[in-house]
Amino acid sequence: MGLVAAVATLMASAPLSTIFEQWTWIFQCTIAVALIAGAATLARTARAPVWAQFVVMVVTLLLALTWLFPSGEEIAGLLPWSGTLEHFGDLLTQSGDDMRTFAVPVPDRDPLLFVTVLGIGAVAVMVDLAVVGLRRPALAGLPMLAIYSVPVAVYPTSVSFLPFVVGAMGFLWLLVADKVDGVRRFGRRFTGDGRDVDVWEPSPLAAAGRRLAIVGVLAAVALPVAVPGMTSGLLTRFNGGSGDGVGLGDGSGRPGRVNLFAALSGQLRKTDVVTFARVTTTDPDPFYLRFAVADDISSEGFRSRSPQGRSLLQLEDPREEPREGVSYEQYSAEVEISSDFQMSYAPTYGIPIGTDGLDNQWLYDTNQQVVFSNKAKVNGKDYRFDFIHSTFTEAALRAAPPPDPDSLEVKRFTQVPSVQLVQNRVDSLVGGETNTYDQVMAIYRYFSSTNGFRYELQTEGGTAGEDIVNFLTNKKGYCQQYAATMAWMVRAAGIPARVAFGFTNGTSRDGDAMVLTNLNLHAWTEVYFGPEYGWVPFDATPRTGVPGAVRPDYAPDPDAPRITPSAVPSSSPGAGSDSSSDLPGKEDPGGNESLPSGPAPTIPKWPFYTAGAILLAVLVLGMPAFRRGTLRRRRRAATAAAVSSEPGTATVLPTTEAARRSRAHAHAAWDELMDTMVDFRIPIDRTETPRATAERLATAELRGDPTGGDGARLLGQAEERARYARSPLAGPGLPDAVRSVRRGLVNRASRRTRLVAAVFPPSVLGRWRGAVVDASTAVVTAMSRLRERAGRLSPRRLLTNRAR
Amino acid sequence: MTQQTWDDLGAPLPGPEFRAASDAIVTNIEQVIEGKTATVRLALAVLLAEGHLLIEDVPGVGKTKLAKALARSIDCSVRRIQFTPDLLPSDVTGVSVYNQENHDFEFKPGAVFANLVVGDEINRASPKTQSALLECMEEHQVTVDGTTYELQTPFMVIATQNPIEMEGTYPLPEAQRDRFTARIAMGYPDPAAELAMLDAHGAHDPLQALRPVADAATVRRLIATVRDVHVADAVKQYAVDLVTATREAPDLRLGSSPRAALHLIRTARAVAALESRDYVLPDDLQALAVPVLAHRIIPTADAQLARRTTDAIVADIVHRLPLPHHRSQSPYDTRPQSTDGRGDYRRM
Repeated sequence: MGLVAAVATLMASAPLSTIFEQWTWIFQCTIAVALIAGAATLARTARAPVWAQFVVMVVTLLLALTWLFPSGEEIAGLLPWSGTLEHFGDLLTQSGDDMRTFAVPVPDRDPLLFVTVLGIGAVAVMVDLAVVGLRRPALAGLPMLAIYSVPVAVYPTSVSFLPFVVGAMGFLWLLVADKVDGVRRFGRRFTGDGRDVDVWEPSPLAAAGRRLAIVGVLAAVALPVAVPGMTSGLLTRFNGGSGDGVGLGDGSGRPGRVNLFAALSGQLRKTDVVTFARVTTTDPDPFYLRFAVADDISSEGFRSRSPQGRSLLQLEDPREEPREGVSYEQYSAEVEISSDFQMSYAPTYGIPIGTDGLDNQWLYDTNQQVVFSNKAKVNGKDYRFDFIHSTFTEAALRAAPPPDPDSLEVKRFTQVPSVQLVQNRVDSLVGGETNTYDQVMAIYRYFSSTNGFRYELQTEGGTAGEDIVNFLTNKKGYCQQYAATMAWMVRAAGIPARVAFGFTNGTSRDGDAMVLTNLNLHAWTEVYFGPEYGWVPFDATPRTGVPGAVRPDYAPDPDAPRITPSAVPSSSPGAGSDSSSDLPGKEDPGGNESLPSGPAPTIPKWPFYTAGAILLAVLVLGMPAFRRGTLRRRRRAATAAAVSSEPGTATVLPTTEAARRSRAHAHAAWDELMDTMVDFRIPIDRTETPRATAERLATAELRGDPTGGDGARLLGQAEERARYARSPLAGPGLPDAVRSVRRGLVNRASRRTRLVAAVFPPSVLGRWRGAVVDASTAVVTAMSRLRERAGRLSPRRLLTNRAR
Repeated sequence: MTQQTWDDLGAPLPGPEFRAASDAIVTNIEQVIEGKTATVRLALAVLLAEGHLLIEDVPGVGKTKLAKALARSIDCSVRRIQFTPDLLPSDVTGVSVYNQENHDFEFKPGAVFANLVVGDEINRASPKTQSALLECMEEHQVTVDGTTYELQTPFMVIATQNPIEMEGTYPLPEAQRDRFTARIAMGYPDPAAELAMLDAHGAHDPLQALRPVADAATVRRLIATVRDVHVADAVKQYAVDLVTATREAPDLRLGSSPRAALHLIRTARAVAALESRDYVLPDDLQALAVPVLAHRIIPTADAQLARRTTDAIVADIVHRLPLPHHRSQSPYDTRPQSTDGRGDYRRM
């Protein structure tokens, strides 16, 4: 079983193969899992208890990690020491960074491999514990499912189903192995016709189980694929697949009023990764590769204007009029566009000053700063260009003059439909700022995780006014919403702004070349700082969602903690916050300070939550006891009412009404007695008559307690008469009898039984469990009846009937 | 011969008188049968339940003595038939003989025309003769030559048989066995009772000294009282459950008949009345299940090979069958299931 558990764990880790580029991880994981399984087997051979097996497995995992990821400080190279643990802490911290830096599929990096082996090893420990130690193989499905959730969470779109099938097979195999083991332990096996089956012979009934398992896996895979609404489902693929699915253009060959936003979101949500471009540049720190802008705004949102341009031979060099605070560096780049990128725009960096490889069909729009063609498409082109990478300093931008209301740019690029909510938000953000840069930065910093903004690809697209409002309310979106909303808000502040489209630098490298795919498509905001500085890019999208994002110095990441130069990364646990600071929802002091309208200093909320949770737990846990108490009180009230006016001995009641009532009283007292017995773990036998039960109670359980014994006998007699006689017994003493029996049982019970009876009365719990079982049985019965009715309509059955 | 109709029994006896009368009979019989109070009371219960009793045990434990003591304690007509292989049905039921004086056939009543019929060693007679008892036991009438003769009330057949001796015996047919309300085994007396028996029976036969303590009219009134005992629906349901369980038990080839349920309830009424109760308890049914049901059922060959007696099988069913829910009862049974291995049906 241990071996099966180990192999099943490895099978379940198959989905991770989509994350890594290479297969190194699986060797390391196999080594770790094998070591754990071996250690567990040894521990079991030594007949160690379950907790000891757990400890042995954890220690083995630690040793395996030490051996696989040595820090050089181990004793004898194997035994972990404090340095090792520090090393592990470092690896963990770095893995957080790596997760942020690299997009899937990731290369083999020690920190990531470490996290993977640690996770798989932990899962292996838990699976082994669940399967062998606790013999609950179904529980092992949870950690195995956790592995599967990793690629699902990492991939913004969706994951191939094949690894899931492998994992599911592993889990089913685990279940099968456990059941087979159980059957073998049971002893003799025989089939329905009474034939004995050898212990190691596969059961003839197993075929049905196998078929069920295959059908189950197929259904689990097929259902989500077929259901529309989940991205990359079959249906959406059918709908969107008509135009080859990859082309961004409108097909006419003319760039123009293409809805680039729709194309962008479509590409980002695609499941399969398509390479669009390979770029080599001499720029050591390039900004985004840019190919189009959307600068026209209407009631339907941002759109692209048709570019107007001049020949590529007449490119201007901005260095001809140098400016203060702006440094220009000339670099060159070589771009190789794949056949899948069917656009009328040629992506470039910065301001191109000379091109090679693009014929005279290609033009340059000085205003939009894009290279375009009215006839040709860029796919398959291989061209190189020289460009100017302008860098701006914060001080220079701050010194930029306020926008001139008469200039053409301000007139054209500050038009924005009036949306009151956006306007109010902008006014509150930029109200205190005087110069353009600070106003833009106030809006830029607003999109921080401190304010609740998250990266989420699965949101409605659109950049019209109401979509902007939606985004500002939901605070969930991806680059197009961030870029468009920031542009909208900057425009609302009276500053020219537009949305630029392009590629981030990605995370995939092929030698010197950056390999850019559809998942690297990106949109950001450009703000016009007057003719002196031109268009300055700002990328408001959270970095977590954008692999290969770049933040210029003048617009630092609002989510990143402010690192002072003197801060030395330490390996103390506190350093872990560095890796988690980018996770959405975390408190971020940096973002807090930079925002004038940030939340007021908060009182720590956890004591309230804790108190609430404790209160809730007490309430929930107290429910059985409370229910038992109410039951007892109600029955006592019912029984007490039976006390007739004369407190003599029990009398036989003749009249029907009184008889009915005293029957009910006797039943109430008897029920209370039964529940009390259940609470005190005295077995109840449904084949026993009340008389026999009372006698058993009196002679066995309450021996040496004449009061309790008499009470039990009296209760038995009352119940017996109430059930079977013409006229029931009525008289006082039933509540007293119940009380005396209870007292007797309390005296006799162990402390633990008493506590359980008081806090978690088994009678109440049992009844609840029974109610749940009954309800589920009723549901199952109703379902099967429904199925049968549906089966009656099955065409197959109709055919058979006709044949008959 | 005064002919009593079946329903004309007389007024029921009030509680104390019933108790006095029944106790008198029990005490009287116990002068002869020592230390067997339960058996004696059961025999009396069968009489009051208007049933028939089959006493089955090894020779010499007092089967015939119990039958005779019961007969003698009641002042009514008693006939004794010694069943032998050459006994003829006409010896039991009666025969028409030609009367020369009035030139007509005249019916000579057989041994069954009595209140109490003691059939000794009933399995020694041929099945033909045994079957002669069928009609009279169930229908309380005898049909000879097309004429039906009513029997008297009370009418009870007390038969004894010896299960050990197999040679020259004819086991009772199923139909015959089903007509006996209860089968009881005498069992050996305990040492003290045996000692007392030696003292009492050493000098003279106490049976001779036995005087009747009740007459047929009293017994009829006792029977009327028993008929009046209340049986709750839950108890009836339990009886039905019990006989159904015997029909469904895997160890049994033949389960109990509906008549068995009827006999069970009747006997339970008599037992309840003997315990001064006017209502029947499931406890009564549980106590009576073995004597009333065990002789009617036939175990499967497997069960016979496993030497499981019908008594054990019935006791096991009683042990396993839950009481019927009389209302919303606690849904849990915390009894550990089949830990004693008593009813391991799958044991082969």
